[in-house]
Amino acid sequence: MAETVNDYLLRAGRRPDGGLRFVDRGEQATWVSWGEVRERALEVAAGLLAAGAGKGDRVALVFPTGADFFAAFFGALLAGAVPVPLYPPVRLGRLQEYVSRTTRMLAAAGARVVLADARVKRFLGEAVAAAGPPLGCRTLGELPAGGAAAGVAAMAAMAALPSGPRPDELALIQFSSGTTVAPKAVALSHRAVVAQTEILSGCWSDREGLRHSCASWLPLYHDMGLIGCVFPALARDATLTLLPPELFVARPALWLRAISRYGATISPAPNFGYSLCLTRVADADMEGVDLSCWRAALNGAEPVAPGVLRAFTRRFARWGLSPTALTPVYGLSEAALAVTFSALDQPCRSGWYDREALAEERVARRVSAGALSGLPDRGQEIVSVGRPLPGFRLSVRDPEGRELPPGRVGRLWVSGPSLMQGYFGDPVGTARILRDGWLDTGDLGFLDDGELYLTGRAKDLIVLRGRNHSPAEIEQAVDALPGARAGCAVAVSWLPDGAPGEVLALFVERSRRASAAELAALPDACRGAVLAATGLAIDRLELLAPGTLPRTSSGKLQRSETLRLYLADNLAPPAPVTPLRLARAAARSGLGYARWRLARRREGLP
Amino acid sequence: MGTDILTGIAEVVREHLGWEGPLTGDMRLIEDLRLDSVRLLTLAAEVENRFRVMLSETDEAAIVTVGDLVETVRRKLG
Repeated sequence: MAETVNDYLLRAGRRPDGGLRFVDRGEQATWVSWGEVRERALEVAAGLLAAGAGKGDRVALVFPTGADFFAAFFGALLAGAVPVPLYPPVRLGRLQEYVSRTTRMLAAAGARVVLADARVKRFLGEAVAAAGPPLGCRTLGELPAGGAAAGVAAMAAMAALPSGPRPDELALIQFSSGTTVAPKAVALSHRAVVAQTEILSGCWSDREGLRHSCASWLPLYHDMGLIGCVFPALARDATLTLLPPELFVARPALWLRAISRYGATISPAPNFGYSLCLTRVADADMEGVDLSCWRAALNGAEPVAPGVLRAFTRRFARWGLSPTALTPVYGLSEAALAVTFSALDQPCRSGWYDREALAEERVARRVSAGALSGLPDRGQEIVSVGRPLPGFRLSVRDPEGRELPPGRVGRLWVSGPSLMQGYFGDPVGTARILRDGWLDTGDLGFLDDGELYLTGRAKDLIVLRGRNHSPAEIEQAVDALPGARAGCAVAVSWLPDGAPGEVLALFVERSRRASAAELAALPDACRGAVLAATGLAIDRLELLAPGTLPRTSSGKLQRSETLRLYLADNLAPPAPVTPLRLARAAARSGLGYARWRLARRREGLP
Repeated sequence: MGTDILTGIAEVVREHLGWEGPLTGDMRLIEDLRLDSVRLLTLAAEVENRFRVMLSETDEAAIVTVGDLVETVRRKLG
């Protein structure tokens, strides 16, 4: 039984189909066996040790999807160091944002050295100078052992390798959201990563005549791509087919074509990936494609839109996609990856719940189809993300941390074998969400018949296209715009009914001194500033009177409360407080409830 | 040559990015065309595909406007 990721690597390479297949834009494949990965990793390990990076040192990695990433990642592990995968620059622009983001991440991880792809390295100069990793930034060829013959270097590395890591030592650091404001460096031990890998591998065991294989376009600096795809393939000594994420985004059909051509049985993506296929894959791209091999189309990392599940299943059934392939899942990088899975080989499940009861009473009450036909907007459809994976427990709690019974909406806490050790170098941030072996996910949801349904987020986080963003970086982008009230913007994202994915809303208070011309230009200025700073497009922009945004008693803006008020159509500027107004406010929630009860009784419902 | 490239890029932008207005060289990709990161990726890939060129990250760092993109493609084709 493997105890560390290093064990996986040292044992792999015994089966002929064990390795990585890289598919390029011309749909040509390059094959690298796990044995070759190990050999190159040994060279890199030797180079790192010779350069002065070893036991416990953090080694930041900036590579596009390709063989070098794996040589560097496993090389760092074999040297006893802790790999920290970071993302390479995006194409066409926003380099300044990339530099400041990377600087923050290098600092948060306390990187000793940065290993980078040669093409990427030239962009890293500024970030490396600012963060100052002691050994600087190097390509693999610039490591001391880089020039030596592979065999010699590998043998030398074997002899020089430090003894393997202990299970409680760090296997990697991953960033839960790439942000310039407060990057969260999730530190995962070998024990946690191995536990997650074993759980995932156990979900699809090979049997007579069937060897599972995975295809993925997910970035390797993200948990779903690295922990979800790479480690299970390595542990099972199986094939993993990889496409670069930027290739998928430009040409989503290549993902489906790769699944078909290489007979992949498992392929995960966030909701955004499935949605992109619906809009950007043409029938002509699908010629000769057969998706009947695709058993588990895992859908996680962002809220699952029921409409996208149905549309994807319907559209691609023509090309053999099984009606049971799509599998909604839930997880978070602080738990290494997956926490719940819906049942494999079963159609997705969703329920219709009384919208008002969810929002006002925080109770999940199913509504029947009959009740719905009369009241089209009373029901809200929510997709089940399934049951906890082996070893995991879920607990839905109230804001004071008391466990709530099934059917009540609350904050989701999880415990299990693959929780992070903590945020690297941030004991305060860690203590805030990790308590007595339980992790406060910051997500809101409820349990129904043992299955988890998510209704929103209590934590301040923007989730778009499978990636997490900090709202602060969006808000800061508009802070200094003429006509905007400084420090009075709130960014939130959520999944509206029937939408194909989360939408991003930005609420900006006007300055009291703003001129008419400034106000007229403000919406465009806000959209442009956010795009330039973060690469995100604002879906809804609301300019508000000064003082409209809700604040805590200490004056902090409340993001989730802003969203709640906005959705309830109650986001209004403050009015002078009068006794009548206070009485009306007190009555409003009670009145709404009474009205709702009355309406139900008229329909003969309980 | 430059005009042909601009016309080609305008077609890419219309077909793949849903831009309906006119396209001129002085327009900035982010601020004026309002391209988010996914759409920038799509633009880069579709321009490469259409003109059969490979942009490299080094070229891309200097591309701010449509005109910069035209100029880069022209140089690659040259």
